[in-house]
Amino acid sequence: MSEEKGLLTGEHYLLGDHACAEGAILAGCRFFAGYPITPATEIAERMSVRLPQIGGTYAQMEDELASMNAILGGSWAGVKSMTATSGPGFSLMMENLGLGIMLETPCVLVNIQRGGPSTGLPTLVGQQDMMQARWGSHGDYAIIALSPTSPQEIFDLTIRAFNLSEKYRLPVLVMSDAEVGHMTEKVVIPPPQEIEIINRPEVQRGDIEPDHFRIFRDSANGGEGYVSPMIKVGDGYRIHVSGLTHDERGYPAMYAEANEWNVARLMDKIHANRHDIIQVEEHDLEDAEVVVVSYGISARTSLWPIQQAREEGLKVGYLRLITVWPFPEERVRQMAKNVRALVVPELNMGQIVREVERCAAGQAEVVGVNRPGGDILEPHDVLNAIRRAAGHV
Amino acid sequence: MSSSERLRILGYEPLTESDWETGLHPMDDLLRGERLPHIWCQGCGLGTALSTFVNALQWLEKNQEWDLDKVAVVSGIGCTGRIAGYVRLDSFHTTHGRAIPFATGLKLANPELKVIVLSGDGDLAGIGGNHLIHAARRNLGITVVCVNNFIYGMTGGQVGPTTPHEARSVTSQYGNYEYPFNLPYLAAASGASFVARWTTLHARRLGWTLRDALAYPGFSFVEVIAPCSTAYARWNPDGKGLDPESLRRRGLEIMKHYQEVGRIEHDIHPKDAHIKLNEKGEMAEIVEGEFVKESRPNLQEAIDQRDVWAEKAWQRAKKALDERPDLPAQTEHIPRTEVQLGGFGGQGIMSAGKIIGRAAALYDQLESCFTQSYGPEARGGAAGSQVIIASDSIHHPHLVRPGSMIMMSQGAYSKYIPNLAPGGMLLIDSELVTLPDDHRADITTYGIPATRIAEEAGNNRAANTAMLGFWTAIVGAVSQDAMRQAVIESVPPKTVELNAKVFDIGYERGLET
Repeated sequence: MSEEKGLLTGEHYLLGDHACAEGAILAGCRFFAGYPITPATEIAERMSVRLPQIGGTYAQMEDELASMNAILGGSWAGVKSMTATSGPGFSLMMENLGLGIMLETPCVLVNIQRGGPSTGLPTLVGQQDMMQARWGSHGDYAIIALSPTSPQEIFDLTIRAFNLSEKYRLPVLVMSDAEVGHMTEKVVIPPPQEIEIINRPEVQRGDIEPDHFRIFRDSANGGEGYVSPMIKVGDGYRIHVSGLTHDERGYPAMYAEANEWNVARLMDKIHANRHDIIQVEEHDLEDAEVVVVSYGISARTSLWPIQQAREEGLKVGYLRLITVWPFPEERVRQMAKNVRALVVPELNMGQIVREVERCAAGQAEVVGVNRPGGDILEPHDVLNAIRRAAGHV
Repeated sequence: MSSSERLRILGYEPLTESDWETGLHPMDDLLRGERLPHIWCQGCGLGTALSTFVNALQWLEKNQEWDLDKVAVVSGIGCTGRIAGYVRLDSFHTTHGRAIPFATGLKLANPELKVIVLSGDGDLAGIGGNHLIHAARRNLGITVVCVNNFIYGMTGGQVGPTTPHEARSVTSQYGNYEYPFNLPYLAAASGASFVARWTTLHARRLGWTLRDALAYPGFSFVEVIAPCSTAYARWNPDGKGLDPESLRRRGLEIMKHYQEVGRIEHDIHPKDAHIKLNEKGEMAEIVEGEFVKESRPNLQEAIDQRDVWAEKAWQRAKKALDERPDLPAQTEHIPRTEVQLGGFGGQGIMSAGKIIGRAAALYDQLESCFTQSYGPEARGGAAGSQVIIASDSIHHPHLVRPGSMIMMSQGAYSKYIPNLAPGGMLLIDSELVTLPDDHRADITTYGIPATRIAEEAGNNRAANTAMLGFWTAIVGAVSQDAMRQAVIESVPPKTVELNAKVFDIGYERGLET
C-alpha cells in the first residue's frame, strides 16, 4: 500500500497545470526536470512540492536543453520521467526530443502553448506549436501528441501519455495551451486501482545473457508492435546506446541501409499501432453536412457555435482530435467523402487545417478559422464559418 | 625490489601467469572488443585516458568492492565522446554538450548509480558549458572527466574555448585572438568539490586521481590534457605529415614536451593552474595536480534533508482532504452564471473567485470554471478574476456577459463596469469605490464597507470574505453552506475563525438588503 501513500484520490478544484502534475504522479512519474516558463510553471511548482512527498525527485535545471536531457537520463534509470514547458522552451527541447526518439526512450513532454513566435505572448493562449510538435526535431520520425480541453482531461491525457510512451518506447507530447493550463475546474482523481497503468516492457537482471541481449531488437524478427523491451541502468546488461544511427545493439552504424532500418523502426511502430494510439471524440455525424474538426481549447469553444448552428437547423457534426499526432487520416478521409465541408478552428494561422486538406483531397471543402493566439476564438467567428460552409451566409 | 612488487606499491595488480597464457588483455572485461579498433588517430591521448579510466575502475572493483554493473558512462559528441562506445558498461552517447544533464537525470533518478561523464573540452566547456557550471554548483555526485586537446578535433581542428591564446587552428590561422578557459578554475569557482588536472603523460598519477575522483561523494572534475596529434599539432610547432608514423612520432614528441613543461603543484589555487605558450607557440607551462578537495553535502544529501518537510506538507494535505465534509449537492438547475471580480493586488481577488468556483464545484456539485487575469497588470496593480457556474457543461470558458460583479477598487470598477449585463448586480466595497455621477442606472448596486468590517473583526485582509458572504446572499447561485466551507478551507489555518465570522456578517448584511 505504500505506493498509494501520497496520492490525492478524490475530488479537487484544480488548476489545469496542477491537474497535469497529478496525472503524471498517478501514472507513476517520479522524476521531473524542468525550467520555469509561463504558462507551464505551475506544473513544475506542483511537482516540486508533490514529488518529494512520494519518493520522487524534482530537478530544476539550468535550461530546457538540460531539462529534456535529464528526463531521458531519468527514464533510462528506470524511473518514469516528465518535463513541461511552453513555446520558447519547446524550441530548445527539440534537440533532445530527437535524442529521446532515437534512443526510444519513454518520457512525457508537456507543452502549455502560448502565443508566438519568439517570446510572443507569455501569458496568453496559442496553438501555434502543433506542426513543431510533429516536425520540430531534425530528421524523420513519428510522434504521438495528445490535446486536452479541460483540467480533467489534461489529468487523464497525461496518464495516457505516460502509458503510450511506456508501451511504444518514445517521448509523448501533451500539447495543451495556456487556457487549459491556467483554468481551474473540478478534477476527479480516481483510486489507483481504477486506472490502467502501463509499464514499459523490461527485461530484469538475469533474464537474458547480456551478450545476447539486443536493446533495439530488429522489428522484423518479431516482438509485439515493433517495440523492444528496455533495461534499467545498473541491471547488468551493460548496454550502449547512441544518438548516431545504430544497429540493434545500439552500436553506431554509419551507412545508408542502417539508417533505413533505424528510421523505419521509429516510424513503423507508430504507424502499425495507430488504431491503438488514435482517439477522437465525435458526435452528430450521422446527418452532418458540415463537420467541425478541431482539438484542444478550440474544439471546446466550438461546441457553443455548433449548438447554435444546429438550433438554426444546420446539419453540423463534431470531430475532436484527442490524438492529434499521429493524425487520424483514415477517419478524416472517409468523412470527407460524405460531407459538404470541414471547418477547422485553431489558434494559429492554419496548421492542422493542412492535414485536413491533405486527407480531404478535394472531396470536401476545407475552411480554416484562424487566430494567431492571444485569445480564444470568438464564438461568432466559428458560427459564421459554419454558416458559410453550409451555404447559409 | 622486483618489478611486480614495485607495481603493487604503485597500486597496480601485476599480470598473473594465466593472463599471459590466455592472451587476453587485462582490460578486456571492460572494453567492447567487438568495437575495436577505435577511431582515434595515431599519437592521440585518448587511448591513455581510456585505459587509465578503465584501470581506475578495475582498482575500485578490487579494492573498494565497486559493482561495475552500477556504473554508467555518459559522453557527448566528439572524439572523446566515443569513449562511451568502447567501455563495456551501461553507456550513453548523447547529443553535443548534453552529457552532464543526461547524467544528472540518471543520478537523481537512481542515486545508487555511479555516473561518470567522459567528454571533450569543446563538448563540456563550449556547447555544454552552462551544464558544467550548474552541475558543479549543485555539487551533483558525479565525476566529469574532461579530455582537453585544445581543439575541436573530430570536425577537423577548429578553434575552441580551450585553445590557448595565439595558438593556430583551421579557424585561427592567424593566431587565436581569444583567451581560453582555465577549466579547473572554472569548475572550482562554480562549486566543484574535487578538481584536478593531469596530462596523459602522467598516466599513473592520473589513475590515482581518477580513483579518488570516482569515489568522491560530491562533484569531481578531472581535466586530462591530451595531445591531438592531427588537428592541433599540425597547425602548431612540429606539425607536418598525417601518415601514421608522423602522427605517432608527433604524439610522442608532445608527451615528451609535457614532461619538460609540466609542473606538479598540488593544492594551489586553481586560478594559478596555468597553461601557457611561449612566443614560438609551444607549450611553455602546464601546471597540474590535485587542486581542490572540499567536503560539503552533495546534491542528493541536500535533497534528502528535505524529506521531513515534504512529509509534514503531505500530512497537512491529507488532513485537509480527509476533513472535507459531505454537503448536499445543488438540486436546482443553475443556468450559466458569470461573475467578475476586480480590485488591486493583495486584496485576495484571486482567492475570492477561486472560493466561489470551489464551493460550486466541490460542494454544490455544479460545473464551475475559474480563470484569472495574468500578466504584468496582475502583479501588484489591478487584479481580476472570473468564475462561471452552471448545471450544464461550460463550453466557453470566458465571461460573455457577467450578471454580477464584485469590485474592490476604483480602477477595477471603471475597467469592468461596462461589461456588466443590464439588470446585473454590482457589489462594491463602499469605502473603496466612489460611484461617479454617470454610474449605470440599469443595474442594481450594493455597497458594504467590507474592509472596515474585516478590520473591526480583527484583520482587514478578510475584506474579500465579507464581500463573498454578501454576494452569496444576494446572487444565490451557490449555497451558503458550500461557500462557508470553501472559505474555511481556503484561508490560512490561523484565520479560519475570523474569516468564518466575517463571511457570516457579510451574508447577514446581504440578507438584510
